[in-house]
Amino acid sequence: MNFLVTGLNHRNAPVELREQVAITAEDLPDALAALRQWPGVRECMILSTCNRVELFTACGEQPPDLHGFLAQRFPVNAQDLRAHLYQFRDAEAVRHLFRVGASLDSMVVGEPQILGQVKEAYAAARSAGVVGSELERLLQSTFSVAKRVRTDTAIGSTSVSIASIAVDLALKIFGSLAGKKVLLVGAGKMGELAARHLLAQGAGSIMVSNRTLARAERLAQMFGGQVMPFEQLLERADQADILITSTGSHEFVFRREDGVRMLRRRRGRPMCFIDIAVPRDVDPAMNRVDGVFLYDIDDLQNVAAANLADRSREAASAERMVQNEVEQFARRAHVVDAVPTLRALRGHAEALRQAELRRAGRLESFTAEQRETVEALTRGLMNKFLHAPTQALRAAAQDGDDERLLLLRQVFQLAESGEAVDGVPAPGASGGLHGAQALDTAAARETVREDSDSEGKPGQPVYAAKHTAGESVLKLQPGEHQAGAAPDKLLEAAELELPGIRGEGRS
Amino acid sequence: MELFWIRVATAMYGVASLCALPAVLWNRARFRTAALALACSAAVLQCVVFAGMAAAHHRFIPTGTHEVQAALGLLIAAAFLLIAARYRTISFGLFALPMAFLLALPSALGPDHYTFSSPLARGGWIAIHVASLLAADTALVFSLLASFLYLLQERRLKDKHAPGFFAWLPPLDTMDRIAQSTLVLGFLCMTLGLFAGSLIAQERVGATYFQDPKVVLSFAMWLIYVSILLVRQSKGLRGRQAMYVSTIAFLVVLSVWAANLFSSVHRFAAP
Repeated sequence: MNFLVTGLNHRNAPVELREQVAITAEDLPDALAALRQWPGVRECMILSTCNRVELFTACGEQPPDLHGFLAQRFPVNAQDLRAHLYQFRDAEAVRHLFRVGASLDSMVVGEPQILGQVKEAYAAARSAGVVGSELERLLQSTFSVAKRVRTDTAIGSTSVSIASIAVDLALKIFGSLAGKKVLLVGAGKMGELAARHLLAQGAGSIMVSNRTLARAERLAQMFGGQVMPFEQLLERADQADILITSTGSHEFVFRREDGVRMLRRRRGRPMCFIDIAVPRDVDPAMNRVDGVFLYDIDDLQNVAAANLADRSREAASAERMVQNEVEQFARRAHVVDAVPTLRALRGHAEALRQAELRRAGRLESFTAEQRETVEALTRGLMNKFLHAPTQALRAAAQDGDDERLLLLRQVFQLAESGEAVDGVPAPGASGGLHGAQALDTAAARETVREDSDSEGKPGQPVYAAKHTAGESVLKLQPGEHQAGAAPDKLLEAAELELPGIRGEGRS
Repeated sequence: MELFWIRVATAMYGVASLCALPAVLWNRARFRTAALALACSAAVLQCVVFAGMAAAHHRFIPTGTHEVQAALGLLIAAAFLLIAARYRTISFGLFALPMAFLLALPSALGPDHYTFSSPLARGGWIAIHVASLLAADTALVFSLLASFLYLLQERRLKDKHAPGFFAWLPPLDTMDRIAQSTLVLGFLCMTLGLFAGSLIAQERVGATYFQDPKVVLSFAMWLIYVSILLVRQSKGLRGRQAMYVSTIAFLVVLSVWAANLFSSVHRFAAP
């Protein structure tokens, strides 16, 4: 698992810098291709939103210089850029992407857009052909973690913006906004935003009333609505189900008596007043009228604060969830990393077995049945011999114990790439030699080497497997090859006589 | 064997009631699915058992108090499922499912001691009479429930510092529509039921039947129903006022049931 993430976001970089390194959808394929060509990058993805620009890469042991990539590609001061960039490696990189996808790193925690943006970035990287198996696994895990966080916590279930809270309250009253009429009184920015949200949620139509008729007409045109003359406001306001008021009036525009009259004309059908004006436009006593629901700016802000607090609580449990998922991902990645080693070990042993069988010339005079018996016997021995080291490799991989893995690789002289050190390849290992060719070039021989450096104590052997034709020092005693026996025990075993096979018996 | 399946259905209502708690209060999707599936299965099972019993005993109506209660429980469960399907809310399950469970429970504990035995039980009109009136009662229960929840939600939305405990309440408009539609449906069922009952009574007992306290109360309930509908239509009765009127109507329904004890000509069971 070698991942590297570099980037900057709304927390640590000003918008002036973010906009300089932002990558548009049109430029993305080109940027992805350039990043893939950058030294040390095996796979990559670029996430560029209004709040962040991040490069996700899968790389080798030697991390690529992604700072250099950004500095070269964008006309920004390298020092400035470096001061604002962050970088995460391996498990921390995984954790970062999981947090981003789950909206824990967003400006508004729990907002749902970021997951869609990650998916778009992933789709673009796939289209550009720069996503391989490592990033694929990471991205798929990111999506499933984000989904889990969203379904198992209430992180995104509440609104935190004034406009969306207004929509939520209206929905609590009307169930659906379909066909509902919105009246926008005044031409304040926030009122406009709330009206826009209501329309986006399916509100049927909008009417605009303003003291300045021209502004009302401009807004009505923008929303595709109608103008209600301000002078007729009190007579016609009962036509609306939702009223958003944001005038600059210093007196109440709507009083309690107006509410009573309007409700009577509406035969009790509820009305919702969203008063975001300061000073307020609607008499607070209006809320006492049956069927009228009044929310002023303080009410909306209190709801927002309570919802934010809820989100923070949920974010804490989401962080724990993400941490668990990172650990699981790391375990899975370690197991995947160990697969070439396991294959190499088996391939190596099989190659040795075949070599020894070929060297036993008398086999040719055996009957088919005898040859089958010998075949089964040697394979059985090999499997039993390999059982313990295989288990040890798996356990080390699952525990993420790199030191143990390295030791096991050294013990069996296996390269990390899935190839025996001396050239005996694992089946399926790329770039290695296969079958007889491998054996011709690297003949099988195993020796036990006494490690004289080991505090000078004899009897504490460090084993190295060397494979050269014609020599086989290691011999096993019957019973020493049982499943569960440790590899060093097996390697210490004495000679094992294999009936019918000439030469030294080997597993 | 019937008793066994009735017990199974009752147990399912019980488990569905428990599932409804986390499903409604904490919006847990799995419990929601479980509550709906269990309630649906229990209702279907009850229907099958009732059909089997009707076929075996050659009658179309429940003939004992336990059976009537179980039938009412079935109708309440069915109404809950219809509302869940139509209005996408299972909030009523908090009340409807325990009601269905409690109403089914007596029949699960054992058969009725006293049963109504009359050739009338095999008639089609009596089946219409009983089924329609039970459906009307069910509709009124839901109308009352919707009015009550409307009131709660209205208070919650007006009180800016209300605790989040009632966040599960459905939107006001949804409850208003449920209250209105169940009221209309109940009125139609009650009219049909009383009409069928009057036909049978006229033919079998004569005019004296209409002096029986239970029968008088039934007609009073019908009149209240008519007045509620008229007032709702003309004044747009909602919230607290609708709740008061629905409560009055519900009390009349309860008194109609209670009048069973004082009735000489219209009763389910002999003491």
